[in-house]
Amino acid sequence: MKILIAEDEIALQQSIVTYLEGDGNVCEVAANFGEAHYKVDLYEYDIIILDVNLVTGSGLEILKILKETRSSAGVIIISANNSLQDKLEGLDLGADDYLTKPFHLAELNSRIKAVLRRGTFGGNETIKFNEITIDTKSKTAYINDLHKPLTRKEYDLLLFFITNKGRVLSKEIIAEHLWGDHSDLIDNYDFIYVHINNLRKKLTEAGAKYIKTAYGSGYKFIAD
Amino acid sequence: MLLSTIALYFYVRNLLESEIEEELYSTKARIENSLKNDTILYALPPVIEIKRTANIGIEKLKDTIIYDPSQNEMEEFRELATYSEINGTYYSIKVRALVVETRNILMAIILSYFIIIFFVFVFLFYFNKAGNQKLWLPFFTNLGEIKQFSLESEKPIHLVDSSILEFSELNTVILTLTQKVNADYRNLKQFTEDVSHELQTPLAIIQAKIENIINSNNLNATQYEHLTSIQKDIQRLTQLNKRLSLLTKLENRQFTNPEELYLNSVIKERIDNFKELFSTKIELVEQGQVRLKMDPYLLDILCDNLISNALRHSVASCSVKVTIDPNGITVMNPGDEALRHPEKLFTRFYGEAISKKSMGLGLAIVQKICDLYRFLPTYTFEDKQHIFKIRFQIGQTE
Repeated sequence: MKILIAEDEIALQQSIVTYLEGDGNVCEVAANFGEAHYKVDLYEYDIIILDVNLVTGSGLEILKILKETRSSAGVIIISANNSLQDKLEGLDLGADDYLTKPFHLAELNSRIKAVLRRGTFGGNETIKFNEITIDTKSKTAYINDLHKPLTRKEYDLLLFFITNKGRVLSKEIIAEHLWGDHSDLIDNYDFIYVHINNLRKKLTEAGAKYIKTAYGSGYKFIAD
Repeated sequence: MLLSTIALYFYVRNLLESEIEEELYSTKARIENSLKNDTILYALPPVIEIKRTANIGIEKLKDTIIYDPSQNEMEEFRELATYSEINGTYYSIKVRALVVETRNILMAIILSYFIIIFFVFVFLFYFNKAGNQKLWLPFFTNLGEIKQFSLESEKPIHLVDSSILEFSELNTVILTLTQKVNADYRNLKQFTEDVSHELQTPLAIIQAKIENIINSNNLNATQYEHLTSIQKDIQRLTQLNKRLSLLTKLENRQFTNPEELYLNSVIKERIDNFKELFSTKIELVEQGQVRLKMDPYLLDILCDNLISNALRHSVASCSVKVTIDPNGITVMNPGDEALRHPEKLFTRFYGEAISKKSMGLGLAIVQKICDLYRFLPTYTFEDKQHIFKIRFQIGQTE
């Protein structure tokens, strides 16, 4: 995938690049409005990660240009402003998703994948990981073409694991992905273990032992 | 006043006395003259009495009380008893004059004084009142203006100018003061806003880098623990930021898209969310349907904060009870004893129990949302239950 990261904070920009390149993506960067404008005009991207505040201009202006040129790129806005208004404005202008800083890179990655699925396959993509197949339209999982009934949370969890395969996911990241803002209310993570253990059991039953424990308390979805 | 009354009294009395004496002497002289011309003894009792006497006595001036038949009462007279020898005959001449009674003088003085004082008082009263009214008008107008002054409304204060030096000085001081207060308040708000906004990016950087570290190297379990612990703290800072900026937005009244909402369905949805995250039971009692007109986002936050506050402070074995009645919503959770400082409950960063992960902003946000929509939040402790109640304004509920 070809991804443009338009973010004026170089440290954040590079961290995103590092994470996304780990998945074999090609990343280009733009550190200001001019650069972003220039690159958007010249090249085609699959995904554009757009900071709202680009020092010399607004990321939303880039978004307008993209929509005028009928670009097929998926756009994810990242902003330090978490007001609903800004979010709605961004989405109204045609952004595919909106993330408030700070965010987990794993979360960004899973959003990118979701946007790609929607953009390229009209929300009809099936994700494959060895013997596991996920139909994202009907939100069902198959192992060796056998339907595996999963709860909503287990399904979300499996999708999150597969989109971030090979990465270490802490229970905090998982909790935040599954419960969003509510996750900060939690003071013990027992309920996460319950979901993960259930999913793990269901997968293991069918012979898919991919959920591994990392460093004692984190998780990693990986093929041996 | 009193002294002058007394002085005046004595002065008038002396004046009258000397006048009477003068008169008595002149009458006596006239009688003597008339006696020299003819010897008819006439008398005009009680005013004049003339008698022939054998010898001459001493001239005497004295006060006496005699019955006055013309007035039919006892009256005080001043009497001059004198003896004179006229044409070889001795005469005793008594001349009397009616004395104005002391009591009457005093009464007259006091009365006139009272009348004068009364009129002066009435006059001065109305004069001063009218004068003061004119004089203090700008002051009271400005006082009213100051009473109306509110930091939140951001309206500048309009003071009436006055020609009086002190008042115009006061106005200048008040204007400077309010401008300063307004500016400080704006700065403070701006500061909170800026801080929470500017912190997001560095937090994002730290978080992203930690994630990359976790994924790039083969760490040992301890290092991983440290890193995830840092992540947790970043999480806390992020939440703190979110809440602070929410508070600022509430103060700035930036929520202006009210919608008709059904509290019952919102509460049910929120409770379902919580059920996944907490083992504590939540019991919902619906005693009526409540419809509210408010920002949906804020209603979610209001419900979440109330319920999570109750959940956070209750033991897993007990249950939290949420009651919706037409007047409001009540959230109860069991507790051992009442809070020691319930008045501080809705302020920022107040917490009594050393609770884990509590930010101390939840109820402050509840308070702010209530302020915005004129709801009334209360806390009571009854039958070993902490009771949080939000009363919705009458007219907004059905």
